[in-house]
Amino acid sequence: MDLVLRIAVVLLPLLYVLVAVGYGWLFFADHKVPRKTARPLFHATLALHLGYLILLGIRWQQFPYATVSQALSATAFAVAVVYAFVEWHGKSSSTGFLILSIAGLFEVLSSLLRTPNPPYREIFHNPLFSTHAGFGLLGYAAFAVAAGYGFLFLRLYHEIKRRRPSVFFGKLPPLEVLERMMVGALVTGFIALAGAVVSGAVWAEQVFEGAWLSDPKILFTIATWGFYGLALTLRRLRQWHGRQTAMASLAGFGAVLFSLIAVNFFLTDLHGFH
Amino acid sequence: MLDSRRDTDVSLPRVLLIGVDHRCAPIDLREKIAYSEDEGNELLRSLRASHDIAEAALVSTCNRTEIYLLPHREAEAYRTGFERVFLQRAPEIEGEGRFYVKRGHEAVQHLFEVASGLQSMVLGEPEILGQVRRAAQTAEEIEASGTVLRRLMRGAVAAGGKARNDTSIGSGAISFGYAIVDLARSIFRRLDTCSVLLLGAGETARLVARNLLERGARELVVANRGSQRLEEFQQLFPQSRTIAFEDRHRALANSDLVVACTAADQPVLSRADFKDAMSSRKARPLLAADLGVPRNFDPAAGDLENLFLQDVDSLEQLIAQNLRKRRDEIPRVHEILDRELEIFTSWYRGLAAEPVVTQLQKHIEQLRQREVAYSKRNFPAETHADLDRLTRALVRKILHHPSTHLRSNNSLDYRYLEAVRQLFRLDED
Repeated sequence: MDLVLRIAVVLLPLLYVLVAVGYGWLFFADHKVPRKTARPLFHATLALHLGYLILLGIRWQQFPYATVSQALSATAFAVAVVYAFVEWHGKSSSTGFLILSIAGLFEVLSSLLRTPNPPYREIFHNPLFSTHAGFGLLGYAAFAVAAGYGFLFLRLYHEIKRRRPSVFFGKLPPLEVLERMMVGALVTGFIALAGAVVSGAVWAEQVFEGAWLSDPKILFTIATWGFYGLALTLRRLRQWHGRQTAMASLAGFGAVLFSLIAVNFFLTDLHGFH
Repeated sequence: MLDSRRDTDVSLPRVLLIGVDHRCAPIDLREKIAYSEDEGNELLRSLRASHDIAEAALVSTCNRTEIYLLPHREAEAYRTGFERVFLQRAPEIEGEGRFYVKRGHEAVQHLFEVASGLQSMVLGEPEILGQVRRAAQTAEEIEASGTVLRRLMRGAVAAGGKARNDTSIGSGAISFGYAIVDLARSIFRRLDTCSVLLLGAGETARLVARNLLERGARELVVANRGSQRLEEFQQLFPQSRTIAFEDRHRALANSDLVVACTAADQPVLSRADFKDAMSSRKARPLLAADLGVPRNFDPAAGDLENLFLQDVDSLEQLIAQNLRKRRDEIPRVHEILDRELEIFTSWYRGLAAEPVVTQLQKHIEQLRQREVAYSKRNFPAETHADLDRLTRALVRKILHHPSTHLRSNNSLDYRYLEAVRQLFRLDED
């Protein structure tokens, strides 16, 4: 089993990169080779990734987010699943190159940060903590997707606004659809992160009795969650247009990345998974 | 004009094309030889009745008139076709370079290129595929086309469809109207939920209105200074709603797309007008296309949030860019057409091989029957059925590969068929 897992650690990032390149080739050149191969390869990668996460859980007898590496891989998987749903629902693969690049980036980071023997942690058997971690990963995946659509929205917006249509014009879904996808992902992420914050707070209160409130990771996550909430509220009140919301989704995702990687590594004991 | 040499290679279809298009004839000449559906049907029937012509099909559009013939006798068919289709209507067409004649593979290739839009005045324009499809249907319905031309026309339609679907030869707008439609499609989720405000009711406005309505715009509101043009416009587009030119500011707030094509020498909508409209629209975007020269919209409005202001220059730039993209697709279209041409040519070769294969099988079967009849007396009566079965199976097995090979068309040309004819003396049967 260890050999299979070691192979998957190398194979999965390569496959994601290959899939992202295939979708990019399809988007920029509309060639028949990626038209036939990109989607089946993506689905095969998704199936392999699911198998990898299941094997990981069986091998270490705990949910596969005990380390930063495992959490990144689970987030990459969640991003890919969200995109698979969007592609199936919207019957369009035009945004795949970017969203799957994000999934690929997570998977590459996951493989680079892999530790050979993840610690056995009792907390990963606690249902409340598992709910907290599951919500957190779903939220991060949704924010990653929202950032992807926010980026595409801004590109297309500026191409039309500046009257310089180039590679994205005519190939991407219209601005209204990109905005809808972005806002859908933002709402999903906001609700999921709310679930993560609440379930995490209840669990932490039971274990740490108030000491958790000074954890930088928690404070930063709550701040990020509040930022997303503010962005969605302003949009709801029609104070913000698609462009501002798109910029907020990119800024928010920057904060999420910082929270997921930097804060975990350097600023916290509680969320360090050490 | 017509090369009188005969095709000796049966792998090439003997199709004869005589045509006139936008490249070789001016519009006043093309008008004379453009056929309505009824006129075309009558013409095809008369051509088909000629002893010199086996099959005929006519492609007649505003930019081209082409007659495709499968002749019994080529020189006579050419004379008949040229006279009845072209000379009778426009004798001046006989001038140098006013028409073209293509034969065999060249004619087939030309039709495939026509169907894919490569021969069109506007590269990759979509209407021609439908026109070739209708020409094919018409020729079939009145039985002017037979086995060869029916297959050829269907092949051309299939090739044109593949070229359109598998390449970008028809994508991207190359007129102002469609460029505006393309821009709207990049902004709004659905065009049929968009309300359009059109300022001006002249020729440009009509073209834009036609494009937008064809693509399903929900509502068309028109404002014009002169009432006569406005009335004419509404007669042409009864689904449109007219308003007084002074009411354009109010209508702007409720529109998703505003197009201006007036001859005004001052902007008809200022930045302040747009700003007011945008503030009441909340977060809804607005596409403003200014086709006027001098400009009808204040260019300063372009910096407003969620307002996408386009002018003649930017639309022309978009059109030029799309034309470049279409030209870049030509090699890919040719690849598709080459494959489709090969399919048609292979089919045609098979068609030519079929009589030879049948003749060969008949010849060998006759030999077998004769030899079996002769040999039967040397065998006991109870083995005759076995003898018959054995020789039949043997002949079938011997002939299987040559027959398949002759029909398969992979390496077939006229020499194979000639060799079989000579080796088995089929012509003496």
